[in-house]
Amino acid sequence: MAVTTVQETRGGALGHPVQIEAAARSLRNSTSVRLLRFALANVRRRPERFALAVFGIALAILSVTVVRTISSSFAITGSDSVTRVLDGASLWAVPAAGVHYDSDAGAIVADGPAPDLTVPDGWTAARTVTGVWSSDAGDLPVYGSDAIADGTAVLGAQAAATLGLAGGDTLAFGGADLAVTVGGDDAVVAVPEALAVDVVGDDGWWTVTEPADQAGRNDLGALLSAETGLPSTTNPAVQPEAGGGGLIYDAVGGGGSTTFEQEFSALFSGQVTSSAFGLISVIGLVLGFVIAISSFLAAVQERRREFGIMASIGLADEVLYFFLVESALVFVSAYLLGITFAGIAVWLVVPQIATPVAWLAAAGTVAAYLPAMAIVGALVPVHRLLQQRPVQLLGDSA
Amino acid sequence: MNQLRLGLAYGLLSTRRRAGALALPILTTATGAFLLVLVLGMASGISAQAAALGHADAIERAVVLIAVTVLLVGVVEVAVSTTRTVVHRTRELGVLSATGVPRPPVVAALLVEPVIASVLGAVLGAVAAVGTAAVLAATGAAASGVSAAGTAVGVLVAVLVSAVAAVATSILPTWRAASRPPIRSLSSGA
Repeated sequence: MAVTTVQETRGGALGHPVQIEAAARSLRNSTSVRLLRFALANVRRRPERFALAVFGIALAILSVTVVRTISSSFAITGSDSVTRVLDGASLWAVPAAGVHYDSDAGAIVADGPAPDLTVPDGWTAARTVTGVWSSDAGDLPVYGSDAIADGTAVLGAQAAATLGLAGGDTLAFGGADLAVTVGGDDAVVAVPEALAVDVVGDDGWWTVTEPADQAGRNDLGALLSAETGLPSTTNPAVQPEAGGGGLIYDAVGGGGSTTFEQEFSALFSGQVTSSAFGLISVIGLVLGFVIAISSFLAAVQERRREFGIMASIGLADEVLYFFLVESALVFVSAYLLGITFAGIAVWLVVPQIATPVAWLAAAGTVAAYLPAMAIVGALVPVHRLLQQRPVQLLGDSA
Repeated sequence: MNQLRLGLAYGLLSTRRRAGALALPILTTATGAFLLVLVLGMASGISAQAAALGHADAIERAVVLIAVTVLLVGVVEVAVSTTRTVVHRTRELGVLSATGVPRPPVVAALLVEPVIASVLGAVLGAVAAVGTAAVLAATGAAASGVSAAGTAVGVLVAVLVSAVAAVATSILPTWRAASRPPIRSLSSGA
């Protein structure tokens, strides 16, 4: 009965059994599939060692991915916060006291009053007053500017959620009742400038937009610097000189391939990767690599005769391919396991920092290390083998 | 019980014979333990760094998680080394099995090596970390100081985690090796 079913299937439903079988045969016989099957057969010979190597490297990948997830999350925060500050402007004039990211409030705030700035004709300068407002619902960053109409407030989605308000509600701020609209997804409470000065003081900065006929120039910072006497830079890592007049950040100039926002966000992520934290995870990755090398070298030691036979019939390059495929198998399995562990770990340990996007970005960054590790991991044992003549490999009892 | 004691004594003797092969697993475990003890000993300094980054509590938890993970990575090398030992000693295990030695003492003998490697590694790493912490505290390089209680907890956690993890990861390969029929171990063993 079963035979009839198979024959019926072959003759009827599949249509062209001969072509399918030929295709399947060629797939089975293709070099890469053979290499993979050989590697899998070797894995089956020592399943514990494969599992341990994968587990060890996965743990190492976990530690790096957790750090990278946190640093990506910081980078995203940095990029979003500076984008919110610039709001389409090209230049950002900050006070001599500088600015900092207030992690409790969740936005960039100024550490001193906005610099004295008179822009030439045609340029547009908008002052923003910034500070942290201790509302009943918690600390929130306040940005005050003339762009906000009197009697209104624009809340970022996070600020609206913190305050429990929605569009059309009324916000009691500094003794005034403001009509709320919700815009953007940050934590900023944007209010009219005069009202903000009353509540959070006059610390702040200027954002400057060039005249339409100057748009697209990459020396706007230098131009405004020449006109106003304030120094300018395209590097967000540069801090204003203490006691000076302030500093102009040029967000569109600079000859590099990265944007000002990207460089600014790199400052945020660099804080994580260069901390003790980042160092420990890198040491973890090195230990994971040591595990890979040690397990491959153990395989070389135990399979000397097998490689002796291969070497004696002239298979030298092929041995490299065998190890490359085995190494790729180990590292890809460890990577998949490691980023899964890392996703679970960040979700359990740092849920308020890590986001799925940051985790994916971290997984992508860690993937970039893998090919190099897998290739070097394969080259070390092959180098060890190629140093010996076939007769030595065959003659050993081990 | 007596058999287990004999197994452990046999394991100790063979570990002495193979001391050279333990260098790498001891080094990797020591590295992991060194970092864990330093992280726990200098927790206040790390808290300060975490506070500068924001989300201090979460970052502190993540630092401890990563330090423990790195210690575990070091200990996995101990288990990889155990798989190598087991393969080297296949014929010896076959002889033991063929002469009627039951499985538990054989497994106990094989587990002596990973336990010694992991505990020795953890202790060496912890000693190095305590020394480093003392130097850092004396020279004032660790601005926020080194906590003696944190260091003690670190040493305890490092030694315990290493020993437990080494046994947990080594038990399967040793159990499988001790369960092979003696005729197979004797004929195919390296």
